[in-house]
Amino acid sequence: MAKTILAVDDSSSLRQMVAFSLKAAGYQVVEAVDGQDGLEKAKLQTVDLVLTDQNMPKMDGLTLIKSLRGLPGYQKTPILMLTTESSEDMKTKGRAAGANGWLVKPFDPQRLIEVVKKVIG
Amino acid sequence: MTTRKKILGSHVKRLLSGVSDHGRRHLSEVETDLVQTTLLLEEAVEKLTSSFMAIHHVVDSRQEAINRLLAGQAPTAEESACLTGMSGEIAGHVNAAVTSMQFQDMTSQLLDRTLRRVTGLRDFLTTLSEHGDGILPESDGDEIVERLGKVSMALAIQSLELRSMLRKSVEQRHLESGDVELF
Repeated sequence: MAKTILAVDDSSSLRQMVAFSLKAAGYQVVEAVDGQDGLEKAKLQTVDLVLTDQNMPKMDGLTLIKSLRGLPGYQKTPILMLTTESSEDMKTKGRAAGANGWLVKPFDPQRLIEVVKKVIG
Repeated sequence: MTTRKKILGSHVKRLLSGVSDHGRRHLSEVETDLVQTTLLLEEAVEKLTSSFMAIHHVVDSRQEAINRLLAGQAPTAEESACLTGMSGEIAGHVNAAVTSMQFQDMTSQLLDRTLRRVTGLRDFLTTLSEHGDGILPESDGDEIVERLGKVSMALAIQSLELRSMLRKSVEQRHLESGDVELF
């Protein structure tokens, strides 16, 4: 059975690019338009990996990670940040919030798939 | 010069210098963001055009090979290998296009920041005008000094709020794939 990835980003074009790349590699993708939407979708179904942007309306990526880590079933789910942010300060905050990795945009689809495979197989 | 005039002069100077510093700082940032947006857009157009042309070329070549097969010609070993490799070639160009298409995410963040900065500057000038309206020709020196003090304070607060709200989240100047770090 295909593994499911929750892709959270307020940019519809970016979500499309992520979904296109991951689906081509055989993953199922659930899309969410911001952190709040991502949290709601994560509650509705358990996913194998969360890929989230940082700067989004309603709820940002770091807040989403902290909220997810408080949910049963999401303490150990891999969460990767996919963001334009590249400062060490933000990466440290992401790590402290519970992120398992940091990918700086723009992403290369092949590289994204390699990372996802490394994390969830 | 009387002390009162000196105080008034000092308040006017502080206000003018505050408005000038604030305006210049934000307009410099607007300029930087717009230059960065232009660079990203130019690179995106260049790379997407290149990917489009490359995909078009491979698809054309593949169609020619298919046409030869349909005409009953048996493919040579070289043609077979070439046909097999075409899918990978197309995938490589599509991947490059996917990376370039992410310009929209970055430029929209930069433009949003510019827009908020411009709106903030307009609010700043509105505050200046509103406080200025309270200064009448018949106002005495003390009243003018008080009003100038208030407007300087209001503008300083607005300037701080605008700066704190506009942290820069996009530093990219090229559409090269970014770093990956697993914790």
